[in-house]
Amino acid sequence: MSQTKMPSARQRRLRSWLFWAVPAVLLLLPLATNPYTQFIANGILISVLVTLGFTLVIGNLGQLAFANTAFFGIGAYASAILAAKLGVPWLLTIPLAGAFGALGGFLASSAALRGIRSYYLAIITLAFGELMRWAYLHAKPVTGGTDGMPMPRETLLGTSLSDDTLKFYIFLAVTVLLVKATLNLMRSRFGRAVMAVRENEVATASLAIPTARVILVTFMWSGFVVGCAGALFARHVGHVFPESFGMLHLIASFAMVLVGGLGSVLGAVLGAVLLTALPEYLRAFPGMEELFFGLIVAGVLVAMPMGLASLLRRVSPIFVERFYREAP
Amino acid sequence: MTLLDVKGLSVRFSGLTALDDVSFTLEEGNVRAVIGPNGAGKSTLFNAISGYVTPTSGTVFLKGQELTQLTPHEIAEQGVRRTFQNGGLFPALTVLENVMTGLHAQTEGSFLDILLGRSAALKSEAENIHRARELLKLMSMDHMADTRAGDLSGGQQRIVEIVRTVASDPPVLLLDEPAVGLSPVARAQMMEIIHRLAGEKGVGILLIEHAVELVMAAADRILVMAAGARIAEGTPEEIREDRAVLEAYLGHA
Ligand SMILES: Nc1ncnc2c1ncn2[C@@H]1O[C@H](COP(=O)(O)OP(=O)(O)O)[C@@H](O)[C@H]1O
Ligand SMILES: [Mg+2]
Repeated sequence: MSQTKMPSARQRRLRSWLFWAVPAVLLLLPLATNPYTQFIANGILISVLVTLGFTLVIGNLGQLAFANTAFFGIGAYASAILAAKLGVPWLLTIPLAGAFGALGGFLASSAALRGIRSYYLAIITLAFGELMRWAYLHAKPVTGGTDGMPMPRETLLGTSLSDDTLKFYIFLAVTVLLVKATLNLMRSRFGRAVMAVRENEVATASLAIPTARVILVTFMWSGFVVGCAGALFARHVGHVFPESFGMLHLIASFAMVLVGGLGSVLGAVLGAVLLTALPEYLRAFPGMEELFFGLIVAGVLVAMPMGLASLLRRVSPIFVERFYREAP
Repeated sequence: MTLLDVKGLSVRFSGLTALDDVSFTLEEGNVRAVIGPNGAGKSTLFNAISGYVTPTSGTVFLKGQELTQLTPHEIAEQGVRRTFQNGGLFPALTVLENVMTGLHAQTEGSFLDILLGRSAALKSEAENIHRARELLKLMSMDHMADTRAGDLSGGQQRIVEIVRTVASDPPVLLLDEPAVGLSPVARAQMMEIIHRLAGEKGVGILLIEHAVELVMAAADRILVMAAGARIAEGTPEEIREDRAVLEAYLGHA
């Protein structure tokens, strides 16, 4: 019988210690990087949030919704427009971009809540993403059209915000906080309700769980996380262009979700780290990058259909992710 | 004390009258069986009471409070909880997590409390884990707590679904063929559980069950349905004597 081995009390303590130990060690990372690798590391942190928001909706809630890149673009443009046009300090645009992303999540959920599901939801949310891209291109006075939106110069505590080490510390703080908050959510009655909706929506309502609200809030939290990532991205690249938020980004994020393991927070982190770093290693094989990238993704999925997180789960119960939270 | 008061409940599906002016009451601590041939409207009756289909006419009251206009999750929160004929467990969740979903409305802490990991949410979570484990122990299912619900046997799934449904101590329980597909031993165990819930906790239970012998032994009162309508109502002894029942239903059995 497939009785999952749950972590012991000692392993649970080790796990919560590890959760903070990893970012603590990462604080030293800028000592080991050059400007180029630091830039890649910053991009990885953004990918972690993008993948996390995506996996919540398609993995945990089980909705075939592909508006994730739309949330990302909305967050990036919100941050750039607020900073460049209204002079809002960039740091402050992060939660505001999250709020706009959540609004995007609200719109995407309204399709699901009107009973549009499965392939129909997939098409509608894809169209939403393309519509947003059309808006970035054509709302030229606001978005800069094809010229995009440059981020204004800004300093924080005397350091320029174009400094990648400073950006790394801010990105790391935002990422750790949002991953922690999402873990808190998933390991609560809310996370159970999200899974319940995926497994059997009709039976979920019979347990006094307001399913419509669960769907709405999951989409909005996903939009918030990915919207915040958009604000980080705006500062990361320094200039927001419509092309960044097309199909290519969506497919790459989808691959990260699958390679990490659908519906797994740990998987979102692993998939994002692996697939964001991978292209940099593949640069050694000019002309073959896409081929190798595709082969590696396919290889991981054939060997581990449940993703990298499932491999770690087999190594130790420390990595077992469940939807309740035992007292420490 | 009367828990459920169902008055003149009818459901029509585009021309088909699936439920035709059905009335009855359910008393505290009583088991009321609902029997009738396939397609008689038994599940439709449950769906109408629990808010999954909107009745064409009629009313449902719980302790004098009207439920008829409420949504399924609101009716469940009022204390009328149900199981499903085809099973309603969440296969990918563990047995413990399944039971804990039954305590959703009993868990404290706002969305923000949960997000920030505040103690209000954590304390309530810990209490509910404890509660769910205790309930599983009562049914001798605690050793299965960490098993995926989808990996349980059919009988175990039915029992876990009932544990999950009663976890919040609802006054009224609607069980749609809880013993279907079970071995004779598991059926007897199921009837024992139902008997105990009514006798010891005073739960009012509406039970759809096909096996007539089981119904006769377990029920305080029986409602017999055919083609959407009530054709008889009474104690098991009265039903055994009823000519209409003999012709419409028991004759087939
Ligand atoms: N949602 C529905 N739409 C249309 N017809 C339905 C629906 N649900 C049930 N019915 C019909 O109503 C009748 C009663 O069904 P049901 O209540 O499931 O019977 P029972 O549970 O007694 O076997 C059947 O003829 C069935 O086909
Ligand atoms: Mg039925």
